[in-house]
Amino acid sequence: MALKQVQTTCPYCGAGCQIMFTVDADANKIVEAVPAPGRTNDGTLCLKGHYGWDYLNDPQILTKRLRKPMIRKGGKRSPLEEVSWEEAISYVAKKLSEIKEKYGPDSIMGTGSARGAGNEANYLMQKFMRATIGTNNVDHCARI
Amino acid sequence: MSMGIPEVEDAGCLLCFGYNGADSHPIVARRIVRGRQKGMKIICVDPRVTETARISDIHLQLKGGSNLALVNAMAHVIWEEGLTDDRFIQEHTKGYDEFLKVIEKYTPEYAEPITHIPADMIRQAARMYATTKPAMILYGMGVCQFSQAVDVVKGLANLALMTGNFGGPSMGIGPVRGQNNVQGACDMGALPNSYPGYQNVTVPEIREKFEKAWGVPLSDKVGCPITHVPHRILHEKDEKKRIHAYYIFGEDPAQSDPDLAEVREALDKCDFVVMQDIYMNKTGLYADVILPATAWGENEGVYTCADRGFQRFRKLIEPEGDLKPDWQIIAEISTAMGYPMNYKNTEEIWNEMIDLCPSFAGATYEKLEKYNGVQWPCRDKSMEDKGTPYLHKGGNFATADKKALFYGTDWHPPLEMENDEYPMSLSTVREVGHYSVRTMTGNCRMLRSLEDEPGWVQMNPDDCKRLNLEKGELVKILSKRGYCITRCLPTERVKPGATYMTYQWWIGACNELTLANLDPISNTPEYKYCACRVEKIEDQEWAERHVKELYDDIRVQMGIDTGKGAAS
Amino acid sequence: MNYFVKGNPDLCIGCRTCMIGCVVVHEGKHIFEVDPDSYNFNPRLHMVKTAKISVPVQCKHCENPACMAACPVQAIYQEDHRVLINTDKCIGCKACATACPFGAIDIVSLAGTRQADGSERKVANKCDLCNNIAGGPACVRVCPTQALSLVTEEDLGGAMEKKRMEAARNAYMEIHPQNGG
Repeated sequence: MALKQVQTTCPYCGAGCQIMFTVDADANKIVEAVPAPGRTNDGTLCLKGHYGWDYLNDPQILTKRLRKPMIRKGGKRSPLEEVSWEEAISYVAKKLSEIKEKYGPDSIMGTGSARGAGNEANYLMQKFMRATIGTNNVDHCARI
Repeated sequence: MSMGIPEVEDAGCLLCFGYNGADSHPIVARRIVRGRQKGMKIICVDPRVTETARISDIHLQLKGGSNLALVNAMAHVIWEEGLTDDRFIQEHTKGYDEFLKVIEKYTPEYAEPITHIPADMIRQAARMYATTKPAMILYGMGVCQFSQAVDVVKGLANLALMTGNFGGPSMGIGPVRGQNNVQGACDMGALPNSYPGYQNVTVPEIREKFEKAWGVPLSDKVGCPITHVPHRILHEKDEKKRIHAYYIFGEDPAQSDPDLAEVREALDKCDFVVMQDIYMNKTGLYADVILPATAWGENEGVYTCADRGFQRFRKLIEPEGDLKPDWQIIAEISTAMGYPMNYKNTEEIWNEMIDLCPSFAGATYEKLEKYNGVQWPCRDKSMEDKGTPYLHKGGNFATADKKALFYGTDWHPPLEMENDEYPMSLSTVREVGHYSVRTMTGNCRMLRSLEDEPGWVQMNPDDCKRLNLEKGELVKILSKRGYCITRCLPTERVKPGATYMTYQWWIGACNELTLANLDPISNTPEYKYCACRVEKIEDQEWAERHVKELYDDIRVQMGIDTGKGAAS
Repeated sequence: MNYFVKGNPDLCIGCRTCMIGCVVVHEGKHIFEVDPDSYNFNPRLHMVKTAKISVPVQCKHCENPACMAACPVQAIYQEDHRVLINTDKCIGCKACATACPFGAIDIVSLAGTRQADGSERKVANKCDLCNNIAGGPACVRVCPTQALSLVTEEDLGGAMEKKRMEAARNAYMEIHPQNGG
């Protein structure tokens, strides 16, 4: 069992706590989380920081991890069908291009994500909406 | 936040306004507790007895929806009793005289019947805040999720300006942001009116800078706020303005937004809905395309915490399945649409971003690694610039003349008041062990075991007695917009007539009840106030069975094989 | 003397990290990998919240335990500065839970243990001060506000001595208020 230590930032509230994870690299599993001496958390963690990581193993308690791109080929209410990434990406690109062509860029809305995705993904999302689509219709759930 | 989280414990006085740190940020609450141990004075403004209220010197248990009346009355006392920092006002602010005209009528006696707080208590609180230095204000969703949110935030800033509580450590005002990277999503310009780094889309010079960097013309019109989307899908007459496509990235509007029935109708009617997420959720039921992304722990990048701290998050394990990082999915769609985005890693994206944002320009990955994070503003790439622990140093504000502006507004009541049919008030609050829409924490064994569906409605024991309700009993709670089932939790921490529900539950989904009224400036919904009614369910056995069936149905809908028929 | 864990309501923020810490340390780390419906969630301390107080309550490891006296099958015993329950001997009669003046004992199901009629075995459950677990009581270790502490003979002795000093100073001050102790 090859154990390694990785320090990262907690994915929950905005306190920005630093957590030291012990990871079993062979089994590709997290073994334990302990507080790290971060600037804001000073070697302490709450219950979510300590015990809020086993969702990564997909225990299927409330919902199921998404594992494959899916499309409803028969429109709304039709079943989701698994597709390849190539198909999913080109389908989204085609539909968005069509709608932009027909109704203009302000008929498309995009969201950023205040959660796990991180700053780089948010930067790209707003750049996508502004530069690729051509609208400032981008927002996220700060208001919610 | 204008201050850093570690500074909280060194304030002389903390005005904790509509902020329940113990449930939303236990590790910030820890700083409040430590401050208390060091002798910090605490004024807690909250309609409930929160953990902070419990250890406070003064607890102003105000009537929900009266925030601005209280804030203006505190300002009135500080002015009337001459507790102002006149030199600070003169040297660093503008608009004081106009502001005084607004607050003149807000005597504590005027505010008493609105706030339900005795006038003398308002006086004591104002004196304590104004005379104990340094004084810090922390506020939370108890301020922001009202239709007068921005006015109250400005009102709190007025208090800090009047008393000269800006420009040094352990002072100022701090919105303690809820989600881990809500600060970051704002920093990165996931906002309809600003590019990354809070640069306004309507300023021509700024737009030109981004047009040059990105090589395309950009729109000069402010975009659509997320809370307007249902209306813009369902009721917009102009085809060019109607939302026909909705690309939802890491959010679940069908659970988190107010007035869920309207949201569901909107998602159903929208021509093309793309969902990019890590878990199946309620929004996914309406999505035309689902794009599976890697989760926290499976990818890397930078988050911004509530006190402007950029910090790295790192990969812990390899993702299983056919997943891509969010940034890569977006880049591939863009490229397929004819606007190529080619990045090798998150650092390349980060470097492009910081070069466009003067406030972030110095926050290189190298520094984030070396210093374990950097608080912005960090303008210089040299290793000496380690960022900025607190803002407005020396009383210099981020305005053209470096002066802050007083801004006074009048109080108005919440939009929906209690009435004969719906005699109680409902406010949404947070469950400490659960996060957001619960797709993450609801799938964590221990957090689920501590608290699970259908959640609780907190009520005063007198109200419970009147309705003949016991602890743990399932009850029906209704508003004009819908109803849900949850468990009764009698507690003396809430006042008679008020109810509180945590918004994490899918069965006890309080957003079936909430109102989509918005603050006219911030467009934040009024989650903290609507009218409701609680009803006893006579057949508890049926109710327990019903809740269990609802839970099973949700799990099946979410694609879990529950052993009762095929998963959809 | 028996040791015990003491909670400080001035520091507690009611977050219940302690309750999960307790379950995880007693069930073992595999709890994060097992079937989510197969483990026990039986914290040995409980958060109590009133209008004025938030603090977890757990076994005080009394010197003359009422639970031990009440147990008809001698399943409760004292060892290594603590009061312990032998769950193999326990018949689930609830005498200890009734006798305990602090509500510190629960009767809980033991997952995976069956009796002759197929029902799950139920036994008394309470704080064991993390017996045989390195690092001492988990609740103390995981609490983010240091609201819990393990009180040993030494701590108690030290605290008593401090209080006696204080009492002596007060006695002196009553007679010589001008000397300032």
